[in-house]
Amino acid sequence: METTFPSQEDIESLAGYQFPGGAYRIAHWENFLLTGCTGADLLPGGMAHPSALFHLPIAGAGTSIAEMFALGQAESDLSIMIESYDWTFFQPLWEETDYQVAGRITSAERCSNAEGKLYDRIQFQFDVSLPAGEPVARSVITWHYTRDTL
Amino acid sequence: MKHRVGDPIPEWVMEHVSSERMRTMAAILRDPNPLHWDRQAVAALKLGLGERTINQGPLGLGYMINMLHAWAGPGCIRSMVTRFPQVVLDGERVIARGTITALRETGSELLADCDISLEHAQRGVLLEGEATVSLTAPATGSPV
Repeated sequence: METTFPSQEDIESLAGYQFPGGAYRIAHWENFLLTGCTGADLLPGGMAHPSALFHLPIAGAGTSIAEMFALGQAESDLSIMIESYDWTFFQPLWEETDYQVAGRITSAERCSNAEGKLYDRIQFQFDVSLPAGEPVARSVITWHYTRDTL
Repeated sequence: MKHRVGDPIPEWVMEHVSSERMRTMAAILRDPNPLHWDRQAVAALKLGLGERTINQGPLGLGYMINMLHAWAGPGCIRSMVTRFPQVVLDGERVIARGTITALRETGSELLADCDISLEHAQRGVLLEGEATVSLTAPATGSPV
């Protein structure tokens, strides 16, 4: 079966793409379940588990994992590999607190691995702030969209 | 407590990575990837992983966060970068480990730069990265 790749130009044109942006509030139930999934007890005073810095910015920016897969024309959900998650906390995250999120694609490039197989490296940056603009956290997600490897 | 470069961070152990927790996490994350909830999808890959689901990145990363919290307190993490050289599979016992690589003061805060990892007894390092942690009193109250 012949597999078609997106063109290199299509991939590179993703750099600079802006997500709609928006707001997100971590509900208590959500933090309760998420914290339990990590094997930890709830943090004190309504502090949210820092692992929320994965999904909070994605949802708050007005996008989804599925849309991020689709933007890079993923061959399938199974074809995405994580390069890195780079997280910065200017202050802790809290339950039931309104956050503003801005998100964009900061780079998109075609690469090849040591075996010469092509993949597309796409980097997303999400900035989380309080409604008044005070910075809270930044999440940089770098994924590899593998091609013809499944 | 006096900290020194080279000091190990006390280990944090996840005794049993759970496929049920992956399912819950998939719903919270709105993550459509069947690798996290469909053993047959994983078995169909040519990776030799068998019928075991693959842990979400933020979950494995969360074990290292739990180690840092147990050591320096909730709210201690200033930054962390995590890379994923190997997957974490359901049923595995994994250990979060870390070492202080540098200590520095910024204003009133003492910061520790650390190498961190998530390891499996047979498969070695599954996740690895670096974290910067505050060793001063952690935050305890809500911002609002």
